Amino acid sequence: MKLAYFPGCKIDFYLKDYGISFKSIMKKLSVELVELPFNCCGYPARNTDYEVCMFSSLRNLALARKYKLDIITPCMCCYGQLQYASLQWKQLGRQIENSAKKQTSELKQKFNDLLAQENLFWDGKTEIKHLLTFLYNDIGILNLKKKIKNRLPEKKVVTQYGCHALRPFTVTGFDNPHAPQIFEELINITGLKSVEWSKNTECCGNPILENSKTLSLKILNSKLDAAIKAKADYICTACTHCQMQYNELSFQKECKKHNITPTLFTQILDNAL
Amino acid sequence: MFYPALYASLLFAAAGFLFQIYRFNRTNKLWQKQKGFKFNFAPAFFNTLFQTKLFKASKTRWIIHSLVLSGFIYLLFFHALADLISVKIFAYYQPTVDPFQFLRNVTGFMVAMGCFGFLLKKFFNVRSTRNIRGKYQNLFSILLIFSLIFSGFMLEAVKIISEPLFMEMVEDYAGVDEDSGLDDLKIYWEKNYSVVFQNSLISSYQSLEEALEEGKILNEEYCLDCHSNISSAFVSKALAGYLKKTAQFLNSSRADNLLYHIHYLLSFLMLICLPFSRLFHILLIPFANLKPKSDIQDFQKQKMGFHPVTLDACTGCMLCSQVCSVYPNFVVTQNIEVLPHAKIRSTRKMMLGRHLDLKELSSLQLSNKECTTCNNCTNICPSGIDLQALWITLSKTLDNMDLKTTPAHGNIPFKKEYDIIPGSESFDNCVQCTICTNVCPVIEYSSKSENDMTPQQIMNLLRLGKKQMAAQTQMVQNCLTCYSCQESCPGEIKVTDIIIELRQAVTEC
Repeated sequence: MKLAYFPGCKIDFYLKDYGISFKSIMKKLSVELVELPFNCCGYPARNTDYEVCMFSSLRNLALARKYKLDIITPCMCCYGQLQYASLQWKQLGRQIENSAKKQTSELKQKFNDLLAQENLFWDGKTEIKHLLTFLYNDIGILNLKKKIKNRLPEKKVVTQYGCHALRPFTVTGFDNPHAPQIFEELINITGLKSVEWSKNTECCGNPILENSKTLSLKILNSKLDAAIKAKADYICTACTHCQMQYNELSFQKECKKHNITPTLFTQILDNAL
Repeated sequence: MFYPALYASLLFAAAGFLFQIYRFNRTNKLWQKQKGFKFNFAPAFFNTLFQTKLFKASKTRWIIHSLVLSGFIYLLFFHALADLISVKIFAYYQPTVDPFQFLRNVTGFMVAMGCFGFLLKKFFNVRSTRNIRGKYQNLFSILLIFSLIFSGFMLEAVKIISEPLFMEMVEDYAGVDEDSGLDDLKIYWEKNYSVVFQNSLISSYQSLEEALEEGKILNEEYCLDCHSNISSAFVSKALAGYLKKTAQFLNSSRADNLLYHIHYLLSFLMLICLPFSRLFHILLIPFANLKPKSDIQDFQKQKMGFHPVTLDACTGCMLCSQVCSVYPNFVVTQNIEVLPHAKIRSTRKMMLGRHLDLKELSSLQLSNKECTTCNNCTNICPSGIDLQALWITLSKTLDNMDLKTTPAHGNIPFKKEYDIIPGSESFDNCVQCTICTNVCPVIEYSSKSENDMTPQQIMNLLRLGKKQMAAQTQMVQNCLTCYSCQESCPGEIKVTDIIIELRQAVTEC
């Protein structure tokens, strides 16, 4: 299997381990990753400029399409943004057919022209996969279970889904947005035991870390209390931004006191495979 | 005359070097410097001499650069500093003896070709990227190197054809006069060494064969020890061929003396300009590479630092902008300030203390906020500048300046009316059931001073048509965009999408 690897902007500097372990898993599952000159997915620009955020996503999607590849990303925010953009694109198209709004048809034309400047064209046929959905659906959870070589000790793990992949369901189509299951199931097949806690679908606080740091850290620290209550040993993430938030130094210190380790799902799976 | 000029320009270059460092460090209170004395010697050495990073980034650029660098290094050490180096290493060293004569021509040719390549590349770069402002950047340095090399070749060519010089040499080194075969030697040199005599002897001489034989013997006796055949000086020989027509004038006016002065004055000029032009990067690239790049540990401990002077190691190659993650932002908005090479330029201005006005500063701040700190530019930068540290420290520095680019209260004009999100006006459905407020993490964890309104109140404001007021609330700024509200809304109102649209509406004020 061949996929275009979309690491997202943050992995190279902030979270090198994620990239390394991700690639290692894919190698063990004999998935070939192609590195294309992708740019930012457009998620950070979503708060400032609609056109910039759309065009950033479209350029990535068109680039992958040029090589006839589907995109796989380990970052939930990138996944959500790319899904959002591809859905918006289709809606822009639909509105042209109805010719209800002239503005949108102009916008689609503008994007097409800008893409054509770089010899790109997008027909809406690039599929976007997140690490978890890829493992669960494309590799298949039963198939993956057979490949587990060393079962890990039965430690308690709580999971942190990322908001942007989970919601809105109509855009991302990730899993049940209120009671998601795939992450827990993927944890359980490694031998670790996933336990319930109240915070698995709640935001980690990273999006407002820069603008309102105290509030962001308050949200983060509430996670620790819940994890202690659930008697967890690990908080497991599968999103670059979530893990970056958990790597906040003050939080790390608190975690050490209670013997809780925020850890990446890829590192767990890499040890089990 | 020669040595005083040399010492003066050396002194000037050293003073200029210190001045530049002072200029960059004047504003260093703003720029937290890297602490500690860790050095990376191996990458510094390889990247400076062999340009390993440039090789990875662009092969053509590497070829051009290596032509100039390797050629220039040879010329500097074995030609310009011949008295100090070549003479001591090679006992038989003479500038007009092979292999030195040949190597001088080869390396000179390499540098000239490299300069030509630079100019071509520049021409195409300016055309393809429409980078008008960078049109004349680096041009001075390239032309200076080129004219230095060209004057050297011209000097050699004029010396080749020079009759007065020939006569001087004969007087000093060869014991021949009119009676003992000076004419024979002249004929031999006219034929084999391209010297142009006022009265050409070849056409008028009767026994040419004999004279050449005689001349060859004399040549072996007196000249050959110091003068290899000039065919090895292939560039100068070709140039001499073109100059033959004007040879009489050049010889009589002693153009070789003039060119000699031009040649060394140009070298001195280059020495003087070293700290003040793009040539400065020669000294700063080793320094920039010597410093280890800041990593995630530095970032977490908030110890990111940047040495302002390393900014002059930038050669303006624009590779950083080609790999920049926010390049699509530039494509859409045509705001060149979001690209690294433009930000480097503005930052350099700022560091040198030329005061940017508030508008420029806030535009720099806004553009720098678009940066995703993806590390691409740092990875590719052939000069090895720690750009990642620059962007992070720059953003801190600008934040500390309190430029007030965030929207203040008052009447804010909306940037655009989008209404692209289908049904964004559908908050008409809102029944004020407060489910959105109940699931919102911001409402759950914020204190009273941190947040003012609830999502449901925002919807209510919009329903009343108070779009302005809604856009300025803390709630809109604090929103995590976690989509909990939107997912839970029984009226299927796109609460989060609406809040995002409100954000977009005010950000450019």
